[in-house]
Amino acid sequence: MSELAVLPNDFVSSQRAALRRLSDRHAYASVPVGLCVVLFVVNLLVQPAFAGRADWATASGVLVPYLFIGMAFTLPVLQGGFDLSIGTLAGFMTIFVSTVLLPSGITAPELVIPLVVAFGLLSGTINGFFIVYVRLPPIIATLGMYLFYEGLGTAVLPEQGGTIPGWLVRLSQSYGPIPGQWFVVAGFAIVWLALSRTALFRNILVVGGDERAAYTAGVNVKAVRLSSYALTGAIACIAGLMLAALIQSGDGTIGAQYTISGITAVALGGISLHGGKGGLFGGALGGAVLFLIAQLLTDANVSIYAVQIVDGIILIVALSLNGTLDYLRRRLLRKSLAQSAVSAAVEEGQSGIRTTV
Amino acid sequence: MPISKRPPEAYAADQAAIDTQLAVRDMARSFGETRALDSATLTLRRGEIHALAGENGSGKSTLIKILSGVIRPDGGEFMFQGSRARFASPYAAQHAGISTVYQETLITPEMSVRDNIFFGTDGLIRHQRSKSQEISGAHLALDQLGLPGLDIDRPMWTLSLAERQLVTVARAIVRPWQVLILDEGTSALDAHRRDRLFAYLRDASSEGKSVLFTSHRMDEVFDLAQRITVLRNGTTVATVDVAESSYSDVLQHMSGREQAAALMEETNGGSGEVRSAPSALAQRPARSGEPVLRVSDVTLRASSQPMSIELKRGEILGIAGLEGQGQVELVEALCGLSRPRGGRVIVVDDAGRDHEISSYRDANRRGVRYVPRDRRQEGLFASQSVFDNFAIASWGELNRFGILKRGAARKRYQEYAEYTRLVGSPNQPVSTLSGGNQQKVLLGRWTSMHPTVLVLNDPLRGVDANTKEELYQFFRSLAAEGMALVFLSTEIGELLVLTDRIAVIHEGSMQALLPTAEATNGKIVAAMFGQNPEEES
Repeated sequence: MSELAVLPNDFVSSQRAALRRLSDRHAYASVPVGLCVVLFVVNLLVQPAFAGRADWATASGVLVPYLFIGMAFTLPVLQGGFDLSIGTLAGFMTIFVSTVLLPSGITAPELVIPLVVAFGLLSGTINGFFIVYVRLPPIIATLGMYLFYEGLGTAVLPEQGGTIPGWLVRLSQSYGPIPGQWFVVAGFAIVWLALSRTALFRNILVVGGDERAAYTAGVNVKAVRLSSYALTGAIACIAGLMLAALIQSGDGTIGAQYTISGITAVALGGISLHGGKGGLFGGALGGAVLFLIAQLLTDANVSIYAVQIVDGIILIVALSLNGTLDYLRRRLLRKSLAQSAVSAAVEEGQSGIRTTV
Repeated sequence: MPISKRPPEAYAADQAAIDTQLAVRDMARSFGETRALDSATLTLRRGEIHALAGENGSGKSTLIKILSGVIRPDGGEFMFQGSRARFASPYAAQHAGISTVYQETLITPEMSVRDNIFFGTDGLIRHQRSKSQEISGAHLALDQLGLPGLDIDRPMWTLSLAERQLVTVARAIVRPWQVLILDEGTSALDAHRRDRLFAYLRDASSEGKSVLFTSHRMDEVFDLAQRITVLRNGTTVATVDVAESSYSDVLQHMSGREQAAALMEETNGGSGEVRSAPSALAQRPARSGEPVLRVSDVTLRASSQPMSIELKRGEILGIAGLEGQGQVELVEALCGLSRPRGGRVIVVDDAGRDHEISSYRDANRRGVRYVPRDRRQEGLFASQSVFDNFAIASWGELNRFGILKRGAARKRYQEYAEYTRLVGSPNQPVSTLSGGNQQKVLLGRWTSMHPTVLVLNDPLRGVDANTKEELYQFFRSLAAEGMALVFLSTEIGELLVLTDRIAVIHEGSMQALLPTAEATNGKIVAAMFGQNPEEES
C-alpha cells in the first residue's frame, strides 16, 4: 500500500481478526459453554464441596455416559439424519458385557472393547443400510432398532443382574486424582480429534449442509451417511460400557431414559437439527449441562421429578438464547463485512494496478 | 449442418479422433413420461470453446448432467478422449477430467470458502490435498477469477451472489480438468467479472483444454464460442461455426420456425370449434376494456430497467423468458407476494380508483388471485377431498354467521365440474386425481371467487394435451366474461395461441412487449436471449 493509505495496516488486520472471531465455526458452542460455566458456579454456591468433592469418581461415573450419549446423538444429526436407537443399544451393551460375554469367559479388555465397538459398528451399519439403501426415514428405521434392543435386553435379562469384568469395575475408581472413566474420555477424544482432521468430518458436514452440493461436487453421499451411522453405533456402545461401569451390572431398562436425554443434549449443545453445522463437542457439552442440572438439584435436595421440569425450561431458554445470539452475530458480521468492503475499495482504488490486471 | 461428416480417408479420421475431446451421439434420456433428451449429438474439440444453445426445456441441462455424471443416459454413445465413457457419479466424471459449474449455485452456506472449493475432491477419509495445498490452490483459483484477497476462511453465507457463483467456478477449476462445463455460469456476474472469467477460459482453451457453456445472452455466446450446437426438443438440430453465422441463424434453429407454425395451425384449428357451455364461450372477442391492473415503473432487480404494463379487462397477458430471468418475481409482485425493488403495482377498482397493492392479502381483497406453479407444495391440500380443496377459499363468502352454506358451495362446485369436465367424485382425496384434474380443482378454487385479475404461474405444466385444450377454452371464456389473465408459461407455442400480448423478460427487465398478432416464435426467442425482436423478422 502506498503512503497515502487512509487505513493503517493494523486496522485492516484487526478487522480481519474480528471477522474470523465472528465467523468461527465453533461459535455454535458459546451458549452451552456459558451454561456449563454458570451451572458449575451455581453448583459450587449450593454445595461448596462440589469442586473438591470426595466422591468425584462417583460423579464422573454419572457424567461420562451423558457425554458419550450426547456425542452419539449428535453425529447422525450433523449429516442431516437421526438415530433413535442409541439409548437402548447402549442399555443392551450392559447386558451384552455382563450376561453374554462374561459367562463365556470373555472378560479381558483387549477382547471386550473391540467386540463392543464392532457390535456398535455393525448395528450402526444396519441402521445405515436401511436408511441409505432401502431409503427408510431415519426416525422409523432407528425406531425399529430401538424397540429391537429394548425387547432383546428384557428377553435376555428380565431383571437387573449379572456382574461385569473387574477392569470395568476399576474404571470407577480414581487413579491419583483422576477417575478411571476419564481415561476412556481422553482416549476417545484423541481418536475423534484425529478423525475430525480427516476428510470424513468435512464430508459429514457437507452432506448435512446440502446433499446436492455434496453429490455434484463428488462426495460419495451414501458412503458418508453409512459410515456416520456406523460410527454412531460404536459411540453408543462405548456409552454402554460406561453405563455398565456405572451400575456394575446389566440392565435392559436403563437405555430408554437416555434417549430423551440424548436428544436434549443435542439441542442444548447448539447443534442445528437441520444438520451441516456444529461438532461432537457440542453434544458432549449438552450432556454435561444435563449432568450439572441433575447434580445441582440432587445437592439441593430437590425431588428427582423436578429435574425434568428444569431440563425442559433450560432447553427452551437455551435454544431461544442460541437463536438470538446467532442472529446478533450474523448482523455484526454483515456490518463489519460492509466496512471491510469499503476499506478494500479504498485500498484497490489507491493501488490502481490491481483493477487493471 | 450435421456434425457427423467425417472425411472417409483413414488419416483424416485419425486426425479427427485426436482432435476430438468429447463426442456424444444420439443421447437420450426420459424422466417418467417426459422425454427430456431425444437424440443429442455433440462434438467438442480440443482447445475449443463451444456453446450449447436452446430454449427452456430443449434438453441442455439434461445433456450437461449426463456429461457430468449426475444422471445416466437411457441410450446413445458417449466417447471421451477416445474411449467409451459412462460416468457412475459426478466424482467419476471429475476424475476423468470433466468439471462442471451448475446452473444453481450449489454451496453449503455455513462452511468456509476453502471447504466449498475443495469438498468432494477427497476420498471418504483421506484428504487428497494437504491443508497448505488447499490454501494455495484456493488463492490461485480465486486470483485467476478476479477475486484476489478474498478471505478463504469466511463462511459462504457472508459472500455476495456473484462471489458465491465464482466460488463454484473455482470449485470446478481446482480439479484437474480437460473439459469445463458452465451451465449459466455467468448469470450473477457483472460485466467486469464476466470479462475476467472469459479471459481465463480463452487462456485455458489456448492450452488445449475445452469449454462447453450455455448462456442466456446471445452476445456472450457469440463473443466467447467458436462453435454453437443448437438443441430443440431434446434433439440436436445444428452445429454452426460462429464465424459463419449470425444471431438470427441461431435463433432460427432454436425456435424451429416451420415447426412452430405447424403447431399453431394445429392448435388454432382444434380450438376453433366452440363447445356449448353455460356462459357465452365465443371466439376471442375484440378486447377493449378499461384498465384493471397497472404495473408502473416496476424494477425487479438492482440492475434492471423499470417496466410499465397496463392490463385491461378481458385481456390475456403472456409472460415469457428463459428460466430465472425475473418472470416469477414479476408475477409475485403482481399478486403482492413480494414487493418489487422499485415502482408500484396498482389495481383499478370498478369506480376507476387506483389502489396500490401492498400485500398478498391486500391483492386478494382487490380481486387479484394467484395460482402458484407447484400445485402440490403451494396449492393443494393433498389428503383433503376434491370438494374441500375447491371450496376452501369460498368459505369467507359462503357462510351465514360463520356456519358454512355447504349447499351453495356444492352447487357452485357442480357447475364448475360440469363445465370443465372435472372427473371423479368430489369426496375423493385430491391427490388421487391426475395432474390435469388437480390443476382444474386449483383453478376452480380461485375462479369461483370471481377475481378481476387471475395470475397464473405456468398452470399447464405436466398437464396432458386434452386437458390443456379444455383449459385453453376455459381461460378464453373467463377472459370473454371480462376477467384479466396474466399467464406465465415456459412454452412459447402456448403463449402464441392463448394470449393477446406477450411480455418477454430478460435479466429482470422487459425486453419486449409484443401484441400476439405480430409475434412469432422467432421474435420471442430473440427477445428471450436479449435481442431486439424487431430485427428478427
